[in-house]
Amino acid sequence: MEVNGQLALTVLMGLFLVAVAAWLARVENWRSYTPVAGGGAFGQKESYGSEEKPSGVIRWLTTVDHKDIGILYGAYGLTAFAVGGLMVVVMRIELIDPGMSLISNTFYNSLMTSHGITMLFLFGTPIIAAFANYLVPLLIGADDMAFPRINAIAFWLLPPAALLIWAGFFPLPNVIPAQTAWTMYTPLSAGAGAGNQANAGVDLMLLGLHLSGVSATMGSINFIATIFTERGDDVSWANLDIFSWTILTQSGLILFAFPLLGSAMVMLLFDRNFGTTFFAGEGGAILWQHLFWFFGHPEVYILVLPPMGIVSYVIPRFSGRRLFGFKFVVYSTLAIGVLSFGVWAHHMFATGMDPRLRASFMAVSLAIAIPSAVKTFNWITTMWNGRVRLTTPMLFCVGFVSNFIIGGVTGVFLASIPIDLVLHDTYYVVGHFHYIVMGAIAFAGFAGLYYWFPLYTGRMYQKTLGKAHFWLSMIGTNVTFFAMILLGYGGMPRRYATFLPQFATLHQVATVGALLLLIGQIIFVWNFVQSWLEGPEVEDGDPWNLRDSGLYTAEWDWYDKKLETAIADGGETDDAAEPMLTDGGDVDDAADE
Amino acid sequence: MDAEPGLSDQYRMASPWPVFVALGIPIAELGIIFGLFPLSVGGLLLFGGSAAGMAFESGYAKTPWRGLFGVAVPLAALGAAFVFTAIDLPDRGIAIAAAAAILAAAGIAGTLFSPTEAPEY
Repeated sequence: MEVNGQLALTVLMGLFLVAVAAWLARVENWRSYTPVAGGGAFGQKESYGSEEKPSGVIRWLTTVDHKDIGILYGAYGLTAFAVGGLMVVVMRIELIDPGMSLISNTFYNSLMTSHGITMLFLFGTPIIAAFANYLVPLLIGADDMAFPRINAIAFWLLPPAALLIWAGFFPLPNVIPAQTAWTMYTPLSAGAGAGNQANAGVDLMLLGLHLSGVSATMGSINFIATIFTERGDDVSWANLDIFSWTILTQSGLILFAFPLLGSAMVMLLFDRNFGTTFFAGEGGAILWQHLFWFFGHPEVYILVLPPMGIVSYVIPRFSGRRLFGFKFVVYSTLAIGVLSFGVWAHHMFATGMDPRLRASFMAVSLAIAIPSAVKTFNWITTMWNGRVRLTTPMLFCVGFVSNFIIGGVTGVFLASIPIDLVLHDTYYVVGHFHYIVMGAIAFAGFAGLYYWFPLYTGRMYQKTLGKAHFWLSMIGTNVTFFAMILLGYGGMPRRYATFLPQFATLHQVATVGALLLLIGQIIFVWNFVQSWLEGPEVEDGDPWNLRDSGLYTAEWDWYDKKLETAIADGGETDDAAEPMLTDGGDVDDAADE
Repeated sequence: MDAEPGLSDQYRMASPWPVFVALGIPIAELGIIFGLFPLSVGGLLLFGGSAAGMAFESGYAKTPWRGLFGVAVPLAALGAAFVFTAIDLPDRGIAIAAAAAILAAAGIAGTLFSPTEAPEY
């Protein structure tokens, strides 16, 4: 039986490799290579140009074009956002009622673990990579990323990563979902004790997470190399745009943080499978927390810096003036990047660590509020007395600033040891960080998706639906997460599927907020898909009328040239289509002030 | 970015290799962690072969064959470490070494039997 299993696996693997080889031989015209260096061989005329990408699915499987990879990252990120979002909808519905009603407590734990990991690693990081891939080369005047193939590898590591992370939810024999929470604290995650976390599902989740870390590291090396070496002649450090600055800083953080997570997870896998004892005992549990949070806190800034870059980039476009204190926004980005590595132990104030160490981490954690506040004041002063146009992307940016202030100020309180000891492990913490990850990071993502919608689709989204999406998201976010902050003040501990009846009302309020968010996101998906397919086509490279205020930027210039040089492929334009109400620019008659 | 066609867009925009490099890594990881010999070997072959093919395609190597050695040598070292050091996971070490041996054999065969000159047109 054992041997037969091995044999079957060998045959399957062999067949798979033969199929790969056959497919490669078929898809690849072996004589078509254009040597990168040195003269191309004469007579080999089939070199690829940009117009000669393969067609259909093959194009997407083989692309190394930064724009295509950006689209792939975006599609992947939004899919993961839907999965993680639907997971939390189930959890919030369960929490309407104090007892265990809809799902089992263990399934709740599984969903909670997966929701966190999905949103941070499969939505947050990839959606940022989507913007960075599409835009950074355009913004800095590069032909493509420095290493286009590594770029493609980094993306293609992600689908297997997602399958492994979600493996426990698939009907595989003897595999259950991980229930370790995203922090994977030992000894629970080491599979010790009488629990069920020695299951292979946890190993698969760790492997998937490891893969996503490899992917992020590859991507970050690529961005650093691209921004350092591929800038156009007219792009210097002095006039590098704010978004590229945040991507550069974020890539530096990834480079130092993710390999550490990868190593720690390999050690954990060895503890689980090969009998090592890195994380055994009390010292081992603290070691895991130190290693995890040395990655985990920079991860927070890895996720928030580029969205801050998007907001810093978009707010001036709709305020009719340049970013206030540009230099200081850059400096504060760099300062946050450096300080982010000195705050990790504020997640561990309650572990009984040395009080002197604790105080120093409190000091640095409070200090990091300063560059964050510098940015906030700069965004506000950019809008101050500006010609503010409340388009959908701008609404999301303003929502970002508002939510970031609430999320940030609640965070300042948590950085203070005495308050943290009271609020630690309560819903206050959950409310605080969701104000940042949903209220700020996801909002900036939406701002970017709407702002550049014409750039990557050639069409305009529908204004009314965009605004409905914003208001449902804004109200939903604040209802849900403010209720959580209040729950935390009341002492409701986090991570539980059941609770005392005294917390029922606020939990129900939070669930109503989550359902508002769900409705908002359904509207978003509808708007996004329908407008991509049928939205009115954008006819010039300045859909936001940025030239008038002198705020026109390189990516729209690229788009404008693309429109000018586009060759019509025959067929009729669809002018007779029903006009949709859009959000400003030339496709639209209604002014959007 | 200059959108004038024919100047900046001359590099290849498509490559079949990255997706297989990316697929080889998780297959090999699964095989090595769970001690599944065929997956370990197959995943490493997929990874190593694709990496060598990619180095050739992108012009970093004149032939794919030496790239195979470039992958085989570190894999052989890793396999040996699994077998002979305190790591002491001989089955997995042998799987890694087997992948290294197959890659090296493919490299030797390619060097010996494939035409070394560029084909005439």
